[in-house]
Amino acid sequence: MEQIHPTRMELIRIKTQIKRAEQGKDLLRQKMDALIAEFFQIMRGVSESRKMLEKVDEAARHSLHLAHAVDDSVALKSAALATRSGILLDISGKNIMGVPVPVIEKRRFSKTTFERGYGILGVSGRIDEVADHFEAELDLIIELAETETALRRLGEEIQKNRRRVNALEQIMIPELKKQAKFIKIAIEEREREDLYRLKKMKKIIERKKVIEPEGW
Amino acid sequence: MEYGYVNARVKGMKSRLLTTHELNDLTNKPDLDAFISALEDTAYREELQKAGIEFSGLERIEVALRRDLIRAFQKVLSLFAGEREEIYIRIILNRWDIQNIKTLLRGKKINAPTNEIRDCLVPAGDLDMAALLELSKQPDIRGIIDLLATWRIDYSRPLTRNLPAYLDSRDLSVLELPLDRYYYEHALSLLDNPEIYDQQIILEMITTEIDITNIRTLLRILRERMHGDEIRDFLIDGGRYLSIERLFDLASLGNMEDVVKELSTTPYGFLGDIQPECISAGRISVMERELERFMIEKGCKNFLREPLSIAIPVAYIWAKQNEVTNLRIIAHSIIGDVPETEMRRALSYV
Repeated sequence: MEQIHPTRMELIRIKTQIKRAEQGKDLLRQKMDALIAEFFQIMRGVSESRKMLEKVDEAARHSLHLAHAVDDSVALKSAALATRSGILLDISGKNIMGVPVPVIEKRRFSKTTFERGYGILGVSGRIDEVADHFEAELDLIIELAETETALRRLGEEIQKNRRRVNALEQIMIPELKKQAKFIKIAIEEREREDLYRLKKMKKIIERKKVIEPEGW
Repeated sequence: MEYGYVNARVKGMKSRLLTTHELNDLTNKPDLDAFISALEDTAYREELQKAGIEFSGLERIEVALRRDLIRAFQKVLSLFAGEREEIYIRIILNRWDIQNIKTLLRGKKINAPTNEIRDCLVPAGDLDMAALLELSKQPDIRGIIDLLATWRIDYSRPLTRNLPAYLDSRDLSVLELPLDRYYYEHALSLLDNPEIYDQQIILEMITTEIDITNIRTLLRILRERMHGDEIRDFLIDGGRYLSIERLFDLASLGNMEDVVKELSTTPYGFLGDIQPECISAGRISVMERELERFMIEKGCKNFLREPLSIAIPVAYIWAKQNEVTNLRIIAHSIIGDVPETEMRRALSYV
């Protein structure tokens, strides 16, 4: 508080700051409300996809277990060698209330038995089922990757905004108001002191006039 | 050939196979350690101990079972060394060569490291580990096919023939399908005298296997809704009960339910006992397991045939393979907490 210059200029400056902070707080609150609405909208879709992913994952693991047991890991690994390939995805971006979120190209990686790259005569239907399930899971994961990343980023932004609003509401605005009050009190005090001093001066001058009559 | 001695040895090997009672005991083991220690009281002890040096847990069991299977098959093959009947055992064991060649081709296509390819090889056929490793060291698919041709391995023929088509399309099925087809065609060409009892037995097994393979393929063709002449590329001629024409007729039915119904007049009518929901949902794995069970039972029934014939070693090969599969299923079920009823459904008792 000692560093503040209790001047009228400073008071005007702080009052402007308070006004701006309050405007900023309102804007951030509005942004947060919009982000929360967006967040819940995306979340509804994500929770459904998540449930579906868990279901597909369970089926995939079950079929993998069965294929490992009946066909032997060696046959499974051999088939996997034939189907191994990289996944190329186009990823662009979009803005939701100033939050950059990824947009992943919607591509399906599920293949038919005849497209997997191995001859079907030597590969069992169990291994096919494993591939079917895991390809379906991959499709869902890619779909979820976009929405979950958007959700995570929106969540982070909401938290950041909440922290900002809280900082403005609980720290910055009260502090500025305190400073403004301090300056106001200081100025009033100074005005009172000036007034008192002037009155005192006036009294001294008048007293002097009485003691030293005209023409002395 | 003097079958008396050889089949006595094979029957000795058969006596070391686990009984249904022993298998049931193993299914009741609470965890993998208990399963391993119980398995160490059986003929798998040696391989389990060897595998225990490098691996642990489920991998130890899988490796031990695989090595024991290879050793058993190589032992059977060695009993026939130099005999005319050796070719029958080779016909059966050559399927592992086909599997290994396919693994090598798949690995080379994606430039997989040699050790990764090596881990997927099962040297139970003609090609031993040294030969397979030499093949795996080749720089590319062409190198593998050339080396097979240099060694005058029969399976290089369909590969050499189809190599240009592969180089155009880079689709491995262009090589794998002719290879599978060649395996059966080659086997049938070697069994040219059905009057010989041994040949009858092998022929019966191979032709039934062709039927089973064709049914499996047909079910997948129906699931993928494939039509027209291209179906022919995936079917193998020479089935025991189902000719190519019959298979075409079945394919034209368009759905699995009707195919299963139509098969009721053949020895594969047992497919009709499968839950209709599985069939309508296209659960090929369920139908496939039933077909495999049929094949295993057929293979093992050879124990009841002429004792002084190839029937006994053939039955042993099927019984051994089934035992190893059963043990793997039990081990995986213990790890995956699979309910006992489901585990027992997956097992094949012969």
